[in-house]
Amino acid sequence: MKRLLGVALGVLTAIGGFVDIGDLVTNAVVGSRFGLSLVWVVGVGVVGICLFANMSGRVAAASGRATFEVIRERLGPRAGLANLSASFLINLMTVTAELGGIALALQLASSVHYLLWIPVAVVAVWLVIWRVKFSIMENVTGMLGLTLIVFVVALFLLKPDWGNLAGQALAPAIPGEETASSYWYYAIALFGAAMTPYEVFFFSSGAVEEGWSVKDLVQSRINVLVGFPLGGILSVAIAGCAAVVLLPAGIAVTSLSQVILPVAEGAGKLGLAFVLVGIVAATFGAALETTLSSGYTLAQFFGWSWGKFRRPAQAARFHLSMIICLLIGIAVLSTGVDPVLVTEYSVVFSAIALPLTYLPILIVSNDPQYMGEHVNGRAVNVLSMVYLVVILVASIAAIPLMIVTGAGS
Amino acid sequence: MILGDLLGTPVYDSDGGRLGRVADARFVVDGAPQQLMAEARLLGLVVSPHSVSSFLGYERTGVNQPWPLAQMLEWRHRGSFLVMWEDIAMIGEKSVRLREGFTAYSPALDGAGQE
Repeated sequence: MKRLLGVALGVLTAIGGFVDIGDLVTNAVVGSRFGLSLVWVVGVGVVGICLFANMSGRVAAASGRATFEVIRERLGPRAGLANLSASFLINLMTVTAELGGIALALQLASSVHYLLWIPVAVVAVWLVIWRVKFSIMENVTGMLGLTLIVFVVALFLLKPDWGNLAGQALAPAIPGEETASSYWYYAIALFGAAMTPYEVFFFSSGAVEEGWSVKDLVQSRINVLVGFPLGGILSVAIAGCAAVVLLPAGIAVTSLSQVILPVAEGAGKLGLAFVLVGIVAATFGAALETTLSSGYTLAQFFGWSWGKFRRPAQAARFHLSMIICLLIGIAVLSTGVDPVLVTEYSVVFSAIALPLTYLPILIVSNDPQYMGEHVNGRAVNVLSMVYLVVILVASIAAIPLMIVTGAGS
Repeated sequence: MILGDLLGTPVYDSDGGRLGRVADARFVVDGAPQQLMAEARLLGLVVSPHSVSSFLGYERTGVNQPWPLAQMLEWRHRGSFLVMWEDIAMIGEKSVRLREGFTAYSPALDGAGQE
């Protein structure tokens, strides 16, 4: 019974934790401009993140090493440092986007300008990282994030023409007013939003935090394989709501208030209350995860002691580096840069950086010296090679497409 | 000089013919016993004619998954060989020269990472 409860909790956490500011913004932008014609990318991304999280979780459980310890060991210091720099900077961009997301959601709830909420958000994030136990932190934000199911409810309440939506999803076509290059640019953005590297840093480091052994692999696999696809449904519902309300009205999403507009229309005030709680929880949870990820990557690479299971005094450099990252986040946001814009760039750069962490994990998960009998099976390897090609193509195509489309505008 | 400076240095035979560059250094742990393990001793250098990037673990004969990635990574280091420390005549700033009649050993390790 306790075990069943554990599985249920893990799955619910994975659903609630799947959506972050990147998913919210990108899915809404895509829904409002391309309808459901890019929904297949969410599917590709969800399978990809399941595969990647499953591999890195298995590496962590079998070898006791988190992602950046593996990268440092396998790539050596020089190539490893280049890898760390790119991954770390993009993660820092995601931290900034999530902090901005919390502030924007609080602005929607309170009508107080978001810049005033940023210090509050940062202090709250820091306090949780400093004080709250890992499992409580993860479960509470995941559970509250589940309120985003209101996007699914709203989609039903909007009574859309289901045949039309299914047509857009099953026979994808580029809408007349959009170009092929912006279609593919947003395909990469959506892929990057679903397969953000921090999810994997966090997942593998979390496995070490919670002291997983090989015995826990079954549960982690259920969490990922059930939780992430259900989280993907939330993503699709966000895009669906935008496609039903905003696309016909010709509103292209550029702010968070437009993301939640369809929920207000479909589910009224109560829906609005739910969606605000959900967005605050989702962005807050993701802010915790990304901030911890920046500490994890630095500490694992440089060999500092790390982890929330240690008292802050015993992992001083780990905690100090996270404080510095949060301060950088404040500094960037206080320039007045639009957090939604930061988010749109961060998901694309996530896609660009993805091969850097995917390839070492793929190699090590095939290494019997690390993995023993838990090396990748044949089916996983075939799928993971297909994804290696997809990830490389997305990574290489992203920058040219960004230039051609003027970042999708 | 530190070992990191040596990696990537061109390697020549005694007649001055270019053989490749230093891709790796091979150690054996059989020196004086220490607290955790014995001291490491430099056995020799791995010379690779085509690439000085890391072998990424594919110098071990037991590691050949996933296809075709493993095969591609091994192919980058085709023709690479291990020379013993005794066969090295000179290590300079910009070049390593081997003794006449040096022996080129296979750089492969078995699955457990042993010669």
